[in-house]
Amino acid sequence: MDERFAPVPPEAEESLPPPGTLVGQGLRALLRRYPIWPVVAFFGKKRVPEHRDTGWYALGGIAMLFFAIQVVTGILLMVYYRPSQPWQSVQRIVTEVPYGALIRSVHHWSANLMALALFVHLFSTFFMKAYRPPRELTWLTGLGLFGLVLFFSFSGYLLPWDDLSFFATRVGIAEMEKAPLLGPWMADLLRGGADVTVDTIGRFYVFHVTVLPLLVIALLGVHLLFIQLQGVSEPDHFAALPGEKKRYRSFFGEFLVGEIPIWLFLWGVVLALAAMLPRGLALEADVTAAAPVGIKPEWYFLAPYQALKLFPGRLELVGMAMMGLAAGSLLVVPFIDRATPSDARGRLVAWLGAAGLVGLIVMTVWGLLS
Amino acid sequence: MSADDKSARPANVAVPVPDRRERRRFLGALGGLAAVWAGASLYPVYRFLSPQPAPDPFGKEGRAVVEKISPAEVAQNGMGKNGGYAGRGVIVFRNESGELKAFDSKCTHAGCNVQFQGAKLFCNCHGGTYDQTGKNIAGPPPRPLTELRVFEDQGLLFVARLAGPGKG
Repeated sequence: MDERFAPVPPEAEESLPPPGTLVGQGLRALLRRYPIWPVVAFFGKKRVPEHRDTGWYALGGIAMLFFAIQVVTGILLMVYYRPSQPWQSVQRIVTEVPYGALIRSVHHWSANLMALALFVHLFSTFFMKAYRPPRELTWLTGLGLFGLVLFFSFSGYLLPWDDLSFFATRVGIAEMEKAPLLGPWMADLLRGGADVTVDTIGRFYVFHVTVLPLLVIALLGVHLLFIQLQGVSEPDHFAALPGEKKRYRSFFGEFLVGEIPIWLFLWGVVLALAAMLPRGLALEADVTAAAPVGIKPEWYFLAPYQALKLFPGRLELVGMAMMGLAAGSLLVVPFIDRATPSDARGRLVAWLGAAGLVGLIVMTVWGLLS
Repeated sequence: MSADDKSARPANVAVPVPDRRERRRFLGALGGLAAVWAGASLYPVYRFLSPQPAPDPFGKEGRAVVEKISPAEVAQNGMGKNGGYAGRGVIVFRNESGELKAFDSKCTHAGCNVQFQGAKLFCNCHGGTYDQTGKNIAGPPPRPLTELRVFEDQGLLFVARLAGPGKG
């Protein structure tokens, strides 16, 4: 045996294809040079508990599918998008570039479905109480990712520079500006001035295509590493089962393969939505014109939008404080509800969460209909 | 005696013992220097990203020309229109007593441009409503609109600050 090479571990010998095959030979040659079998074994031990709520475990992967679609279509759109001629370049993508309208619409619909998948992921992990110790940081990194995705949506919304973009951004930053202390400073820094101008596009473009992707990839890596290290959370009804009754699926084997048909179906849904309901392009932003009649934000911002209309004048700060409190309470949930199996306090938190979810849906529908 | 013994340190010379406090002080000083270094490097970055002060919309003359509204479009009582000045929105109209009025159209609530709708000025974003004096009368706006002085000069409309210089 040449001592420049490491031996192939016996566990690896069991799992690798036979050494006679080309793949088996290649993988062994690789392992002798780079002894990464402990890393492979580390990822291989991830398993998914099987019970009546197993389906909810697919949501994180579904959100990642949409994120992957966003990365690919986003890179494609960057080929033709020009931040110095924002509206004209998007118009060119939509009217002249072959399949440009389709790729832009896929980017739009996949963004919407990613936000939807993340809402469901957030609330399903909430009601399965996956945030309890020792998984506090997994929950917090997830909330951080959710915030980054909302910022992604907000920054991408400005880039086409149509009427909707302009007023949505003006309103969004104007609300940020009302936040005490750092509000005005942050608003000016984001806008690049006292008002939304082409300077704002430069800033939002940089956020949208470099800063936010890097942050999401880094934080997502940490989020997934935490799950890999601690294993998938088990709800109380599963954890209470005797050991021999617990059934698991290997994550990188059965579970992921089981997700492939779901992903293929969802990719079909995205394509169908993009083809049948293409994303429109309104008139180029006119900073002097009145806001268009019937202007409304995307569905995931409808709840705060409705709240903005409900709290007149000086009461607005009260409304903002209430929304901030509701969002902030998600941050402290893992430090309040800690008992496994769940106790009276845990049940109260679940009811409060349900009330919050109902409130969110009511405000969203109200905003949609108003 | 072996060769090793010759190179050994004589017993009466003190071996310098690394002093932990001195080491900590040195590392602290190094950290402080690095912080100063980082601060000095980040200041230009901060200034680079900070917005430039916006120019006065009314310029040296204290007035700005109104775009997209001609004097003829506000010639009679009740006539009015949305237009622009210096990259902002403006509403100019002639009220029922024949007075020419102008308001910066930026809603005091969340910054959308409000729309001239005759008797009222209405914001399509969140339903803010103002009367013809610019007063907020319904919806979420906390303050009246900013009124501007408006006047005609050589066939063009101009706006200026309510209290300020500017021919008119």
